[in-house]
Amino acid sequence: MAENTLVVRRESTGVPALRATGMRKQFGGIEVLHGVDLELRPGEVHALLGENGAGKSTIINMLSGRLSSDAGRLELNGERIEFKNPLSARRAGISMIAQELEVVPTMSIVENIFLGAEPSWYGLIQWGDARRKVTSVLKELGVNAEPGRIVGSMSVADQQLVEIAKAIVGDFHVLIMDEPTSALNLQDTERLFKIVRRLKADGVAILYVSHRLWEVFDLADRVTVLRDGNLVASSLIAETDITTVIRAMLGNKSSLIANAERPRKSAADTKEKTPTLSLDSVDSGTLLRNISLSVHDGEIVGLAGVLGSGRAELCEAIYGLRPIDRGTLSLNGAPTNLNEPKASLANGVFLLPEDRKSEGVFGHLDVRENVVLGYNPATDPAAVKIASTTTNRSSWRLAGAAPIPAPAERRAFDAMRAALGIKCSGPSSNISHLSGGNQQKALFARGALSHPNVMVLSEPTRGVDIGAKEEIYSAIDSFAARGVAVIVASSEISELLRLASRIYVLRSGRIAAEVETTSTTEEQVLKLMAG
Amino acid sequence: MLKKLLSSESAASIIALVGVVIVFTLINNRFLTRLNIEGIIVSASISAIVGLGMTLIIAMRALDLSVGSIMGFSAISGALLLSHDVPLAFVVAVALAVGGALGFINSQLINLLRLPSFVATLATLSMILGGELLITDGATVTIRNSMYSKLVIGRLFGVVPWAAVIAAVVFAIVWIVFHWTPFGRHIAAIGGDLRAAAGAGINVKAVTMGVFTLAGVLAALAGLMVAGMLQNADSTVGVGAELTAIAVVVVGGTSLMGGRGNLIGTVCAAFLLASVKAGLNIANVSSKYEGLVFGGILIIALMADGLRRGARRKGMLVV
Repeated sequence: MAENTLVVRRESTGVPALRATGMRKQFGGIEVLHGVDLELRPGEVHALLGENGAGKSTIINMLSGRLSSDAGRLELNGERIEFKNPLSARRAGISMIAQELEVVPTMSIVENIFLGAEPSWYGLIQWGDARRKVTSVLKELGVNAEPGRIVGSMSVADQQLVEIAKAIVGDFHVLIMDEPTSALNLQDTERLFKIVRRLKADGVAILYVSHRLWEVFDLADRVTVLRDGNLVASSLIAETDITTVIRAMLGNKSSLIANAERPRKSAADTKEKTPTLSLDSVDSGTLLRNISLSVHDGEIVGLAGVLGSGRAELCEAIYGLRPIDRGTLSLNGAPTNLNEPKASLANGVFLLPEDRKSEGVFGHLDVRENVVLGYNPATDPAAVKIASTTTNRSSWRLAGAAPIPAPAERRAFDAMRAALGIKCSGPSSNISHLSGGNQQKALFARGALSHPNVMVLSEPTRGVDIGAKEEIYSAIDSFAARGVAVIVASSEISELLRLASRIYVLRSGRIAAEVETTSTTEEQVLKLMAG
Repeated sequence: MLKKLLSSESAASIIALVGVVIVFTLINNRFLTRLNIEGIIVSASISAIVGLGMTLIIAMRALDLSVGSIMGFSAISGALLLSHDVPLAFVVAVALAVGGALGFINSQLINLLRLPSFVATLATLSMILGGELLITDGATVTIRNSMYSKLVIGRLFGVVPWAAVIAAVVFAIVWIVFHWTPFGRHIAAIGGDLRAAAGAGINVKAVTMGVFTLAGVLAALAGLMVAGMLQNADSTVGVGAELTAIAVVVVGGTSLMGGRGNLIGTVCAAFLLASVKAGLNIANVSSKYEGLVFGGILIIALMADGLRRGARRKGMLVV
């Protein structure tokens, strides 16, 4: 039965199932992939490693028809091929498990699995057939659910398994897996590995992308490492080891990090004081368990962890976007209930969201409006003097019901623009036209205007070019110097080493380790993240 | 059997329908007379046909505000052709084709100009209504084809109104299309998660075109039935029908958030609203109160939808 569901074309020739040569890609005039070669052989698991931004996603999106290449050549079983879209790649026998869930939550498991490739007979879908195939695949994946179950009602891990089922039902001979285990627990991961090994024995060529190094060394036959869009290493797993791979991933960057020259608060300075914000054995949602951490006035702490470790979720839980189900959050020692962003802001907690475009910036407004959004001069100690001389109806202003005088807004904006070095042609230029770095600075300015005591920064330099990165780092430093407690969550370890005095390493929703940045290296943190 | 019925998505509207029938029968025993029941069946069948098309539209997370005007336009085109002694079968075919063409235009405005369906169909609603007035000059076109009227208010085997037979056939076709064809499942997928649907290789523009064209054809059919019932047609045919159709869909349990469509619920809700209307009439409640009552029903239905979705978000399985 199971054999029927996983029909695989056996390739006994020495020709690679899929060969990519000289793959190049530019985004917005900047080349992110500089001619990478990759060969996937039948019956081999090929691991693809690299830091964020190394070009892994770019190349797998090209191999699966989601992205076109600027230059390069794809060969399927020795014949040249080009993909117009994901469907044409799927028809050619290339299946992909995307990192982000691509399921329709309102539809059933069986509908999702066959979406776009429904088995039909004279135009009518053969649900009986489809259900039988799905039932056996689900059994194999250990998903205890009827094929008719609505996907939106399942746990994220089970939804991820549906995504995997979607990829392995039907006829394919190349399987691309992008972080397939990021939402799975150990047991589900083991089951997935079993399936991967079976597929491998059946002659499928597998490209496996993961941050978890132990998985790679457990599963893969061959490993390729990308760094800054270049292929830096490729060898058989048997001929290498974890340390070599990590060195290849990081290059000589670790030596470039100058993190000792700056005065920063050490743990010893703050040990006796009451933390500005602290979590005590906090559980939240299905992922975060037993989280305890603390941050003091003027201190910067880092949150490290791979995607799916709970890094982003923890930031949201602190800000009140996710409910805290157990444990307590305390501000200056007093347990506080931040159940919504309004309460967080009122208590001086500010979040810089991870997804700037969809959660932070108002793309249709100009840069000044974006900065002064939510600004109320009546509560601004710097502006309240001026305001009280011009009007005595300050209670109106406190309620936010009175119009904010344009000069006050302009003063606030100008001050922030100068302080943070926001480069724009003027206050009324559309924020969407600004570079990523300047958009990020505008969001920082918005946060600063609310005079926060605690800033939670999720991926503060994502999509920001190197020059602007350093400016953002110094902005963060200056906030801390003014006494703000700062939490920085980042997938770039070098960033955390540069900014923070302590790093909490998250793994599978728990704090796996707490390290002092003065006594650790990027390699060590990476090892802790990988588990 | 009963348990399965109660746990089904359509349970609420079926129970409400039975309740309404019982209440109005208790208030006035004239409610269950043959004349009254037939009146309910004919008007419910017509709003069910428009509502079934609207269910697919809403399942795709879109809206079609032009269905009422398409009803009027097809009714007028049909009546005009009949007054020129064009054979009935040909008249019906042309009127349905006109409805399909108007629906196709809607889909192209959405696809090519990337307008939200709400805005695109608001514009066509106004234009089609304007077209009706230009064609008729505001006059009423009388229909003198007895067979045509019989096809709506006449009875099959002397028992079942033809309108109900037509609605049943439409229901069967829409059911099969929605649940048993890739096209139908792609409608639900687009409404459920546009990105995932596109990622699965679904041609979103083609599906949009199909759905709006189908809704146009169904609206045209309903328009022809209204004209047959009234034995005339003018630009008032179908006025406000888009709102009734949306109400019928929502009361029937289809979420405005898209992704799913409850066809049985739509039909039940069409009968529910028609029964309430007839019941109020028989109970001598002024028709001025109709709007208030319908609005109240709509609010209850939307609250129920909100509760269902809230429960689903919290992980409780509510079907």
